[in-house]
Amino acid sequence: MIRSDALLPILVMLPLSLALLLLLSGRWGRFLSLAGMVLTTALAALLLSHGGQPLHHAMGGWPAPLGIGLRADGLATLMVMMTALVCSAALIYGEYWFDGAKAEQGRQFRPLAWLLWAGVNALLLADDLFNLYVTLELLTLLAAGLAALMATQAALTAALRYLMVALIASTAFLLGVALLYGATGTLALELISIRVAANPQPVLVVAMALMVGGLALKAALFPLHGWLPPAHGGAAPPVSALLSALVVKASFYVVLRLWMGPLAPLTGGVGPVLGVLGGMAIVWGGWQALRQHNLKMVVAYSTVAQMGYLFLAFDLLQGAGYASALNGMVLQAVAHGLAKGAMFLAAGALVVAAGGYRVDQLQGMASRQPLAVTALAVAGISLAGMPPTAGFAGKWLLLQAAWLNGQWLWLAVMLAGSLLTASYLLKVVAVTFLPAPVAASVGCGQRLGGVALMLALLALLAGFAVMPMLQLLAPVATTGGWL
Amino acid sequence: MRVVAHRLIVAGCTVVGLALVYAVVNVQGPAPDLALAVSGALAESGVSHPVTAVLLNFRAYDTLLEVAVMLVAPLVAAALPTTAPAPAKPTNDPVLQALAAVAVPLALLLAIYLLLIGASRSGGAFHAAAVLAGALVLLQLATGRSLPAWLTPTRQQPLLILGLALFCAVGWLSLLLGGYFLGYPPAWAGVMILVIESGLTLSLALALWRLMP
Repeated sequence: MIRSDALLPILVMLPLSLALLLLLSGRWGRFLSLAGMVLTTALAALLLSHGGQPLHHAMGGWPAPLGIGLRADGLATLMVMMTALVCSAALIYGEYWFDGAKAEQGRQFRPLAWLLWAGVNALLLADDLFNLYVTLELLTLLAAGLAALMATQAALTAALRYLMVALIASTAFLLGVALLYGATGTLALELISIRVAANPQPVLVVAMALMVGGLALKAALFPLHGWLPPAHGGAAPPVSALLSALVVKASFYVVLRLWMGPLAPLTGGVGPVLGVLGGMAIVWGGWQALRQHNLKMVVAYSTVAQMGYLFLAFDLLQGAGYASALNGMVLQAVAHGLAKGAMFLAAGALVVAAGGYRVDQLQGMASRQPLAVTALAVAGISLAGMPPTAGFAGKWLLLQAAWLNGQWLWLAVMLAGSLLTASYLLKVVAVTFLPAPVAASVGCGQRLGGVALMLALLALLAGFAVMPMLQLLAPVATTGGWL
Repeated sequence: MRVVAHRLIVAGCTVVGLALVYAVVNVQGPAPDLALAVSGALAESGVSHPVTAVLLNFRAYDTLLEVAVMLVAPLVAAALPTTAPAPAKPTNDPVLQALAAVAVPLALLLAIYLLLIGASRSGGAFHAAAVLAGALVLLQLATGRSLPAWLTPTRQQPLLILGLALFCAVGWLSLLLGGYFLGYPPAWAGVMILVIESGLTLSLALALWRLMP
């Protein structure tokens, strides 16, 4: 009889094994991928049905300090579910996008996307510091490779620059891992937390700076965001969706895990720094998004701004607002993943239909690509934090945390950020309603837009599931994730 | 502007370097109890070399993911548009050919030795694969041929994933039998590690070989 906690390794190994099968299969790849998608999403739902009860699996049967553990709490569970939805949408979209002349790229996209799914799940469930590093490495290489799939000169340059930046970041993270290991003699997260709390040496601030700095670089936190817009904007749409929704978020997730666990006694002075950088990211990213003429660059700069909320929230993660801030962060991460994925998918459909990347080429798209425009609008409502979406709940909770802590400046910055978000998205959506010029229309079905709309509607529906999500998070919010 | 950027980079590196020196000198670690745990469990690990026991048993999951990284590298390289480098021409260098005639068979022997010795001494799949890939490179440089012609890139695919596939298969088997992922029964651990390492040697050598332009 299979163990019930075997669910955790299966969530990693099923996508990984499928990727291997996809490397061998020819014509059957499409069906294999579809079947795997249903199965893996069902397993994520099964994890969800555990209701945030912590699950633990000792890899190899070796208990924690000797072996590696996998662990799922409410936070990991929600992120695994979000990952399943975004990956499924991107894979289905990929089947339509990489069609005909791009079939060869599609054959390469499929296994790499499945490996990415495995890598993200492995990172979300990791309970070991070095294992976190390995999963980050896997994601970095996959992200660079996927970004280069587009094979244009610009995409290759952006992908190579991303790879260089991410490798520097990985090295910094690894140095931090080595220092923490030297100071605590263990790699298991829970044990590190206990030992750091027992002896919070000042030198560990160096470890913290290296790890958080490296991860902030990987998560494109202002002013380290320069690599993101060309890399995410230049990639193929299903790839952009995976990168913006999942890969940058993975780095944020690692910061959050470390923040609540091993680094908790050391966070005092770092919170305000992340708060300031996050606040500047919200304003600068939003302003840049407003100024872009290339649709995909609007969406890419929007990622810089939205990641700003997640990092600003680290400064709210204190005092009376702690629980609200944590809940708000996680809801914002989930909502942004779904909405941003949908937005990049919709942008891809619009770019194909318009025959170009410029925003002013989108005239008449509201009637020619109604599904894609609806997807863009619905995802935009969630990003701007308007009810009834999950984005609204997340931003509301963050505002509440700032209110409870009396951090009025952050309150104002977040409100201004929402206004900026609404402005740049409204600007794009408004263009699509202008009468179409008498240009040759490019033949393009509604299927791409349809897939984007499905994901956008999930972002909307998540707004009605806020209460269950908060229940899942309740133990994490009160104990900092360690039970 | 460029000068300012360079100075900023130098300043940044200096700060990081000094901080690292400060941290490494001042960090107080506990008594290393992990090494004791490794030697305590070594008898059940199926091998007698502690490093191999950590890599292929206690922390085999990390190794599995690292092998996935090693698989992604040639996959990504294959997906990139190539400027089609001219295939390395045989140099007709008699010295190189004489060297290859001696070194390649020796390297093959050494690779097998390193693979088998991994259980008890320093060695194992990664070392063996590096030597094997080196032999292939030498063969290519000396004769212009290395892998047989029928082993086209498409047909290399099964060989490329063999190591990771065996690793995954052992993991699935242990899960489906009701155990932990990659939890080998102590009696079988030695055999399973050797099977995985043999597959890894071939796959990693091919991955390294494929990355050579």
